[in-house]
Amino acid sequence: MNEIIIAILRSGTPLIYVTLAGVIAQRAGVWNLGLEGLMIIGACATIVGIMLTNSILAAILIAILMCVLASVLLWFVIDRLKANPIIAGLGLTGLGVGGTALAVQSIFGSQASVTAPFGIPKLGPAFGAYGVLSISVAAMPFVVFGIWVLLRRTRFGLRLAACGEHPFAARSVGANPSRMRLVALSIGGVLCAIGGAELAAGSLQFFAQGMTAGRGFMAFAAVIFGASHPVGATSAALFFAVVGALGIRAQLMFGDKIPHDLLQALPYLATVFGVWLSGKLRGGAKAASSFAELKDQ
Amino acid sequence: MKDSLLTVVRSLIFVAFALVLCALVFQFAGYNAPTMLWAVADGAFLRSGAIEQSLRWALPLFITAVGVGISFRAGFFNIGAQGQFYVGAICAAFAAEAFKGGPAFLVIPALIIAGMLGGALWALWPGLLRLRSGTDEVITTLMGNFMAGLLLVYVTSGPLKDPSGSGQQASSRPLDAAYRISDSLGLSPTIIGIAVAVGILMWLLVNRTAFGVLASLAGRNGTMVEWQGARLWKLGLSSFVISGALAGLAGTIEFMGPNGRIASGFLPAHGFTAILIALVANLNVVGTAAAAVFFGGLASAALYLPIMAGLPAAAIDIINAAIALFITARSKLVDKVLRLGGRPS
Repeated sequence: MNEIIIAILRSGTPLIYVTLAGVIAQRAGVWNLGLEGLMIIGACATIVGIMLTNSILAAILIAILMCVLASVLLWFVIDRLKANPIIAGLGLTGLGVGGTALAVQSIFGSQASVTAPFGIPKLGPAFGAYGVLSISVAAMPFVVFGIWVLLRRTRFGLRLAACGEHPFAARSVGANPSRMRLVALSIGGVLCAIGGAELAAGSLQFFAQGMTAGRGFMAFAAVIFGASHPVGATSAALFFAVVGALGIRAQLMFGDKIPHDLLQALPYLATVFGVWLSGKLRGGAKAASSFAELKDQ
Repeated sequence: MKDSLLTVVRSLIFVAFALVLCALVFQFAGYNAPTMLWAVADGAFLRSGAIEQSLRWALPLFITAVGVGISFRAGFFNIGAQGQFYVGAICAAFAAEAFKGGPAFLVIPALIIAGMLGGALWALWPGLLRLRSGTDEVITTLMGNFMAGLLLVYVTSGPLKDPSGSGQQASSRPLDAAYRISDSLGLSPTIIGIAVAVGILMWLLVNRTAFGVLASLAGRNGTMVEWQGARLWKLGLSSFVISGALAGLAGTIEFMGPNGRIASGFLPAHGFTAILIALVANLNVVGTAAAAVFFGGLASAALYLPIMAGLPAAAIDIINAAIALFITARSKLVDKVLRLGGRPS
């Protein structure tokens, strides 16, 4: 049982950090499909940072810097140049996946993956079987709580939601929707960097080209499934992690009966189901073009 | 007319923006940016034989991109072209196994129809979920891409596996030479004919039929179309199915033409590139043809770069991604310079 919980926490934690980034963007009215790209930039920058500086703290700071820069670029294109957020987000994802592949090739030669000597510190033997988990896994519930407080219990969170829901009304009380989006995407950048760092350096300590494999998109789906509420979206991300872990479990048990490539599709199938269910619960079909674009454009 | 020309100019301005961003990324990753961009241009259009190579990539991309344009026009963000492309190729490959030994003039059309049906099917379920339950199609089609990718891995290493295949990439048994519609260079009269036919039919559909006009209106204002008595869900579902069928057709062409087999993870950037082509062309069928040649050139440069210039092929992915980042941008400044009024579609 412990093993399953550890597996779920390991695969779920990076997803949850990135999901929280998506929640903040969503509340500011931005559909952030760049999460996948931000996550892989965070993962790559962490491993490269460890190799270059020999310090995990410096590596994570580098990752945060890169992800925030990429988020600001996304903000500039969406908010200032009024690009379509979905297409621009997919563009940022492509830039992240391609750019990290290019960077790894140019820094380490033509290697498909890079292994770092160490990763994020572990909890240690004091936690028994759970000691193999990294400290960012342990920090995750506090971060979720912190984001919940920020979004639901502070003046900033209320203004953020107002800017996302109705930018014109928010402007009339003195809030600046454009700046709010910048802040939201930047906080998201920090969270994506941590999520990427946890993915690459939490338990594995290596970076491979395209290693996020759709986790960023899954995080985005968790945002929609969880109705862009921090706790709801976290639960949705956890649900995807549970389905993934059970899928791996099923591979071990019935691997000879069901082809494992098809079992790997379970989390994606669960995502479709989750989004369908959330649409069903809220009811009614909206035209995509009406809410994908920023509302004041 | 003048306005549509200016929209093209605006697209080009943002493509130039994107190239500058690429140059920065290349420089940052430790390459010489001018050398890189020159090598890309050389691989795409300048060296001898490059144009033929570019056209080989442009034709399937054009077919998928026209389909993407149809669903975008109707207001549906079907970004699942990649998955529909794969499922189309998979269905054609299964049909090829089933009809083995039949006369070519019957089998070839049958395979093409099977591929189109496969692509249409992979667009049908997100379409139904969207129009029946309001499930966001951006996510369902995206997840469909991942699932189709895994399905491709499964069939190429399972039911369709080529036992004599070596190397890392699992692939299907090769298609009989009698059923191939081109050699491995991929530029044959059949493929050109199919692409031209698709272009003409879709141009007529968009510009000369009630369906085309209503679907485009539905993309701008669904409620109005509904009030005028058109069935929104019919229009929507048809545009999903048409775009899926065309992506499936492109997958079938790649299978029956240049590739001759399907391999796990083949042409992973096809769908995304097709989306870009449709957007660069502003969803216009004629413009799509021109944009397809440009992106076809980039696709052929992706093969040329690592072999001839010793540069990584990921450079092309970065150029494509940077163009995606900027292509839908509408800067007030640029519009003012170009004197484009109002809100462009």
